[in-house]
Amino acid sequence: MIFSYRLRRNAVKIEGERSSALDLARGRLVLMGGFFILMYIVFAVRAFDLAVIQGRAISADNGATVELSAMEGSEDAPGTLPADIARRGDITDRNGALLATTLRTASLFADPHLISDTARAAGGLAKIFPDISYGEILQKLQSDKRFVWISRNLSPEQQYSVLELGEPGLEFKHAYQRFYPQGALGSHLVGYADVDGRGLAGIERGFNNYLNSGETLRLSLDMRLQHALRREMTAVIDEFSAIGGAGLIMDVTNGDILAGVSLPDFNPHRAGEALETEVFNRLTLGAYEMGSVFKIFSIAAFFETHDVGMNTTFDTRDPIRIGRFTIRDYHAENRILTIPEVFMYSSNIGSALMGRAVGTENLQNFYEDLALTTPLDFEVREVARPMVPSPWREVNTLTASYGHGVATTPVQTISAVASVVNGGYLIKPRLVLAEDEGKASTDVRVVSEKTSNKMRELLRLVVTAGTGKNADVAGYRVGGKTGTAEKIINGRYDGNKKISSFVGVFPMDAPRYAVFIMIDEPKGTKRTYGYATGGWVAAPAVSRVIASMVAILGIPPSSPDSPENAYGQDLKQYVSAGKGEH
Amino acid sequence: MRRVGISQSRQSFWSKLWALDWALIILIVMVACIGFIALYSAAEGSFSPWASKQMARFAVAFAGMIVIAIIDIKWWFRFTWLFYVVGLVLLLIVEIMGHIGMGAQRWINLGFMQLQPSELMKIVVVMALARYFHSATLEDMRRITFLIIPLVIILLPVGLVMLQPDLGTSIMILMVGGVMYFVAGASIWIFIAGIAAVLGAIPIGWHFMHEYQQKRVLTFLNPESDPLGAGYHITQSKIALGSGGISGRGFLEGTQSRLNFLPEKQTDFIFTLWAEEHGLFGGALLLGLFGLIFLYCFIISLRCRQNYSRYLALGLSVNISLYVILNIAMVMGLIPVVGIPLPLISYGGTSMVAALICFGLMMSCSMHYDSKVAH
Repeated sequence: MIFSYRLRRNAVKIEGERSSALDLARGRLVLMGGFFILMYIVFAVRAFDLAVIQGRAISADNGATVELSAMEGSEDAPGTLPADIARRGDITDRNGALLATTLRTASLFADPHLISDTARAAGGLAKIFPDISYGEILQKLQSDKRFVWISRNLSPEQQYSVLELGEPGLEFKHAYQRFYPQGALGSHLVGYADVDGRGLAGIERGFNNYLNSGETLRLSLDMRLQHALRREMTAVIDEFSAIGGAGLIMDVTNGDILAGVSLPDFNPHRAGEALETEVFNRLTLGAYEMGSVFKIFSIAAFFETHDVGMNTTFDTRDPIRIGRFTIRDYHAENRILTIPEVFMYSSNIGSALMGRAVGTENLQNFYEDLALTTPLDFEVREVARPMVPSPWREVNTLTASYGHGVATTPVQTISAVASVVNGGYLIKPRLVLAEDEGKASTDVRVVSEKTSNKMRELLRLVVTAGTGKNADVAGYRVGGKTGTAEKIINGRYDGNKKISSFVGVFPMDAPRYAVFIMIDEPKGTKRTYGYATGGWVAAPAVSRVIASMVAILGIPPSSPDSPENAYGQDLKQYVSAGKGEH
Repeated sequence: MRRVGISQSRQSFWSKLWALDWALIILIVMVACIGFIALYSAAEGSFSPWASKQMARFAVAFAGMIVIAIIDIKWWFRFTWLFYVVGLVLLLIVEIMGHIGMGAQRWINLGFMQLQPSELMKIVVVMALARYFHSATLEDMRRITFLIIPLVIILLPVGLVMLQPDLGTSIMILMVGGVMYFVAGASIWIFIAGIAAVLGAIPIGWHFMHEYQQKRVLTFLNPESDPLGAGYHITQSKIALGSGGISGRGFLEGTQSRLNFLPEKQTDFIFTLWAEEHGLFGGALLLGLFGLIFLYCFIISLRCRQNYSRYLALGLSVNISLYVILNIAMVMGLIPVVGIPLPLISYGGTSMVAALICFGLMMSCSMHYDSKVAH
């Protein structure tokens, strides 16, 4: 080697100590060289590992959008086509209606250098794609680039027409795309995935890995009911100029959610462009003070702690003053009320007195048992933490008895109502259809059978004689409870901004379905004499939803002379003929 | 390296031009051309915005490299300390301007390009250390007091660069400085002690690191923990390398880079783009060319008769090769993402200029390998 020859020659010229210093330097230099050679070997091994061993699962013609999942699946399926590994599973409702699916689509791009007659090609393309102008296409085809997108996600007809052009510079790139055939319907629960097939919200997120394994997921939703619920809620929101709402239909025997609507909603194909208020999932991520709906829970707690009859009375003549708070009645009766009267007239004072009788610790524990004070354990993972008083003093017990100072999500609220009326066992809301489709666990009891029965009668009474008359559907023994809460704006209750809700259950003698509708900031109309309360706003909507439901599900009404119709009417003996008729 | 013997320092301009290391120059041009091709592809088959600019910068910097190579090494030796002081002042200027402006400031706007003094400082630190160790004897190297001044030479710019804050560059200066110590003959024990000190300082340094820097290290250790966030770079880069396979997807066919899955595809992650489109073979070709360049540079430093040029050539070749090695290791997911460009290939003015200055100085060392510098 000529180099080593020269090195030796140089070495001879240098004398003594300097020579040994240079020798040392040379030795260390060689060591450095060795280090770099070692690094090169490491690179070679790594590159081989990435390109050949790990890269085998990643096919060349498969579009970039599926490659993440292909990599995850590389270990178990090196031989199969990546297309099989990567196609994200469908989501359907309980009847098999498609809610989300993945289709292989073609996108068109051009290599302008390969196009001989750009004018002809642009003319042909402009005919196939009416939304892109001839000039636009021509400009793209005449550009200096080697790659220009023409149009994404072509329909099969468009693809065929492009092929007919016979232009060699036009090529397709195939990729998978997620489609939501129901559009906005159910978008908050189904959620959406990004272009890479990664679930970002809703079930798409909660079951991301499951769906990426290619499995089909069946939800408990029934899109027919979903549609009916959304239609009625939209009508109410329009009528009362409200800003939004949340609605749910649940099977109280097993917790299956049959419909869930959060309004305003959004187009899941363009979730990125939707407003924050549209994407916001009020069903699970919104925590609201439910107002008088909570009286269902405080009165149930009272029955659980006090074995007394319906004729037990509470003196609601004077507002309760505790600390700087004063508890007043909205529909003030100014007299001594029995339990059915407290419930049907929705007396805050009466409920607060019952809450005081239950006791702070008992009420706290009871709400906890109903899963109202802990974050929802649910298949949709975007859940809010409920707001509970902290510290929880006696005054909080009194207000929590009529639903103030405790904020819960709609899904939690309807689940707790279901647990109270279904005979007393805890309901865990479900969105994914269970294998057995049938009974949920009845292991955890939250109230006794006896309390549950009393609550059913009371709920029915609200609809036959109390604040919820607008919710009735003849022949279906609807029961329920109204709720009207003032919204907290900047830390203060604002009397003009309300959340009006109604939870209805039917048939009340053997409860099967619960329907919950909550309307955000309804404004009173002439027809409702300016009222925007739960009884005026939400109760009629629930009634219409139930009327649609029974038609869709084919549930026959009871005949007019059936004894079932009289269910709960013996409670009327505890109701004095007063001014309750409003 | 074909010409031996006669002192070349007094030769005419044209004969000097003829005496340049043309083999090295051809290698450099080949690598740079690969860079242009990759940038052309990164812009989806277009010269703008990257490839054309990069070619213009290369042309200017190439001329600068030739001029630097032709200037006798003794002039570079003579003005080393001046360069060092100027470099420090430039670093101070960006530091002060950074305080006046907003956030991290790393460059000075020269109009036609943004100059990052920290890139130039890496070269100047090597020059200064070579200057200092030039007259050192083996006895000197064993005196701890003698070794303190070079430490100051290294730590002053490191501190200023850290303030910018630019962790990658400060680590690079530290590493190159360490290599200079090593080759100049400092005791092995100093390095063992140094490494021990660094290991001991890690928990303390961790404390002072910015949150994004901590996150980078953590995601490096487990990139799958955050595949959509800080781990995105590494994961996408590995996917792209994998999808290239042995022969690559073909020119202008790389989907990861084309479809914008790969961030920073025109700068730090350009090797990924190249390797995705040209596969294992393309990657091996590029690494082979770099390997030849390293070999050439190491031989230059072995050939030099003067300590200054030997240390300088060595320090600069270590500088360039460390860049290449660390960049490739980064995109292959072997080390954390530290923001180190690939010399001659990555889009960026200062990095291109700095690389060609390095090569120019090395060629000057080579051509004047027996030139006498003052002691």
